[in-house]
Amino acid sequence: MDSPAVNAEPTSFTSSRRSIVVLVLTALAILASAASLALLTVTAQDATLFASLQSSLLIVNLIGVVVLVVLIGQKLYGLWRDWRRRVPGSRMKARAVLTFSGLALLPIMIVYMFSVNAINRGIDSWFDVDVGRGLDNALALSRAALSLRVKEFSARTATLAEELHGVRDAELVTQLERARRFAGAAELIVVDDHGRIVAASTDFAASILPKMPAEDVLREARHRQSYVSLEPAADGGYRVVTARVVAASSAGAPRVLVASYGVPEQLAGLADGVQHSVEQYGQRTYERPYLKSSFTLTLTIVLLLSALGAVYGAFFWATRLVRPVHDLIAGTQAVGKGDLNLRLSLPSHDEMGMLVHSFNEMTKRLGRARADAERNRTAVDQERARLAVVLARLSTGVISLDADLVILIANSAAGAILSLDLESSVGRPIDALALASPFGEQFVAACRRHLDSGQSDWREQLQFRTDGGRRELMVACTTLPAEAGEKPGLVLVFDDITTLLRAQRDAAWGEVARRLAHEIKNPLTPIQLSAERMRRRLLADLNPRDAEILERGTHTIVQQVEAMKEMVNAFSEYARAPAMERVVFDVNQLVTEVAELYRSHGTAAVTLDLDASLGNIDADRGRVRQVLNNLLTNACEALEGQPDSVVKVATCRAAFGGHTFLQLTVSDNGSGFSPELLNQVFDPYVTSKPKGTGLGLAIVKKIVDEHGGRVDADNAPEGGGRVRIVLPLDDAGREWLSMQDSREGLKADLRRERA
Amino acid sequence: MDRSSVLNALPLPAWSLVLCAMVLWLAGGSVLAAEPTTLEEGGSFDVRSAYLEPSDHVYHLNATLDLAFSRAAAQALRDGVPVVVELDLDVDRRRSLLPDARVASLVQRWQVSYHALSERYLINNLNNGEQASYASLADALGALSDVRRLPVVEESKMPPGGHFEASVRVIASIEGGLPSALKTMMFWMDWKRTSEWYTWTVRL
Repeated sequence: MDSPAVNAEPTSFTSSRRSIVVLVLTALAILASAASLALLTVTAQDATLFASLQSSLLIVNLIGVVVLVVLIGQKLYGLWRDWRRRVPGSRMKARAVLTFSGLALLPIMIVYMFSVNAINRGIDSWFDVDVGRGLDNALALSRAALSLRVKEFSARTATLAEELHGVRDAELVTQLERARRFAGAAELIVVDDHGRIVAASTDFAASILPKMPAEDVLREARHRQSYVSLEPAADGGYRVVTARVVAASSAGAPRVLVASYGVPEQLAGLADGVQHSVEQYGQRTYERPYLKSSFTLTLTIVLLLSALGAVYGAFFWATRLVRPVHDLIAGTQAVGKGDLNLRLSLPSHDEMGMLVHSFNEMTKRLGRARADAERNRTAVDQERARLAVVLARLSTGVISLDADLVILIANSAAGAILSLDLESSVGRPIDALALASPFGEQFVAACRRHLDSGQSDWREQLQFRTDGGRRELMVACTTLPAEAGEKPGLVLVFDDITTLLRAQRDAAWGEVARRLAHEIKNPLTPIQLSAERMRRRLLADLNPRDAEILERGTHTIVQQVEAMKEMVNAFSEYARAPAMERVVFDVNQLVTEVAELYRSHGTAAVTLDLDASLGNIDADRGRVRQVLNNLLTNACEALEGQPDSVVKVATCRAAFGGHTFLQLTVSDNGSGFSPELLNQVFDPYVTSKPKGTGLGLAIVKKIVDEHGGRVDADNAPEGGGRVRIVLPLDDAGREWLSMQDSREGLKADLRRERA
Repeated sequence: MDRSSVLNALPLPAWSLVLCAMVLWLAGGSVLAAEPTTLEEGGSFDVRSAYLEPSDHVYHLNATLDLAFSRAAAQALRDGVPVVVELDLDVDRRRSLLPDARVASLVQRWQVSYHALSERYLINNLNNGEQASYASLADALGALSDVRRLPVVEESKMPPGGHFEASVRVIASIEGGLPSALKTMMFWMDWKRTSEWYTWTVRL
């Protein structure tokens, strides 16, 4: 059997791709974090390397942070959604994520705070107060050393300016060259008051033309009569620029002598070194807060990466941890809904795996148990269906009662026998049947008599008086098997043996009649012959008085013998069962013929109510005629001496069980059947007439039975006796009627129709 | 409400988020604690006037800039942080139906620095390597502000009859002279100051 697995991924491709993405992201995050931390360690003493790589690392880490934020955001949203929907396992997952994240973030935060503090302290240590002061002193010392040179060069320039006083322009260049060599200057330039170079001398090999001194140099020199400054050269080193106003000659305005001196290389190198150190230190000092922020930023992003990675890892592990529980919860809910084919996939071989295995085993066994129960239930249902069919087909009434005598089961035969609607009585106490009809009351009373006395297994033949006559039921009661601790129920099985007993009685009477006819009829003829011979031989020899006596005696003998012959013939007629001679004839015509006989000779008026559409029937015409004769004779004899006596003969179609029957009704307006005899009117020798043989209605019933029909006698509501005969019109009706084992079914129908 | 019920009541790992917020706060605080000095604080920075002047078949740029560093920027300069001043010039030919055509583009860069030993301000022309020194920052900025005869484009590229527009702006930044460590910080802070474009129609 295929066992569906819970939470199986839609496709392995999607799952593997997602796993690869997660692995790559995790590896990138770990690598970036490790590289950042290593960089922080390595660059603690070398900010340049840190600076060169920091930007790239920050970008990578920021990308990692963004990716992780997105992933965690998705996870958080999913968790929040599951929490809102009360998805099984969501609360446990939330707690697990909370715990894992807390356990991971707390040490990270502590490390972070200590790291930030260490970075700040480390960077601050670079900028020791003594270092700064030392550099300032070195700078001051360098300035002092250079200022000596500057003063010396300024004095030389002043001397040169005095020497140039009064020198003519034509000799000025020569004088300047000589003075430059004498003073050791690199360049000497004389500028007039219009800012034009009057003469110049230079030893700069690269300079063909002297460069015009800066405007501020000339301005300062003219303003203060002198100018001196130390200037860094573009190509390295230093030069001292000095300027002096050359006293004006009589020929024109004062001029300015600008002299440049080179600083000795050793001094310039030392000074340059100090300058460089001061400059670097100043830059570092300026950078210090930014370096701190930069390190802190890097560390923060690394921390964020680590923290987010920890949170994502918390989600990952929480999901892995909760998934089996979620599967178990989902599986339990599925089992609760009846899905026992569910099988969970084993997450691992640990305790959770054992739990999942136990769950699978449990559902497997539950499934088997349910399948067994289902099979048993199906079997029970089938047995019940069979039992219901059997009970429905049974002619024996069956009523099942529980321990409180509440009706559990009642088959249709039971209702037919008791003439009650037992289907509506199921679930009600049996005493409720007593209220339904007098028959039910007698039945309940008979059962109660045994049950109240504590008898649970009994069998008895019971007689009841009903509207339809005497009924005899064979009732048996037995105890049903019960579950342990429960009171046993009862089952009542009863059968209507009225017909059986009547048939047995009919058979016995028939045998009696046959033997009686045989035993009596044999001596009757010799008696009659002997009496006639005696009369013939002796009548002529006797005197008149004796002859008269003989005549009356033999006449009486012969008459009584004839009467006995008739009676014996009647017995013989009742007992014998000649072969049926079925012919198709018009029953209405036969009724009309027989009725005409009684109209002309009868004592009562005979009226007919014939159904013209009835048509022909297939029956023994002679026996049907006898039935009509017997019924009309019976009715006319019952009406003797009664004025306005009327015998009504009616034919019609009647439908029972989907079949059509001939219904023949002979009723009169006499006194009807006496209630005492009503149940025995079809028994032989049961008669209320002084001259009746009691065989008329018995023969009627016998003939009707031979035709597969049914006969019923009762008193009409408007008064008078009424005998109704139902004869099948075809074989199907005859067969259906024969299947009605219980005559009471038809009788009940007849009674309902009558009602 | 006991602890477990409190945890149950929280749908999200709230205190994890609180920790993350603390981290961000600390990081932000650390960055902000640097108290950066930007070029934006005080001072003025603009192109006051500019024009192109033909000379020897070449158009030269003459411009007057308004450059004034804030006190903090001046202090940063004195601490050894160099400032790069950049002059951007674009000359475009306006065309009625077609897109404008770039005729000339010039970027002139100077670096202003302070020489502690000589106590002078140096201006290095980063385009040709020339250096000049000044006794004060005002003198140095004054020299930078007066741009004279800066060759831009040959006259032949700007024939008469064309409609030409020139635009110039000045940018000051410290990125060029700083170690790259601070460049990262400049990602977060504005250490660059740019003037509006000064645009005029070139009269040929």
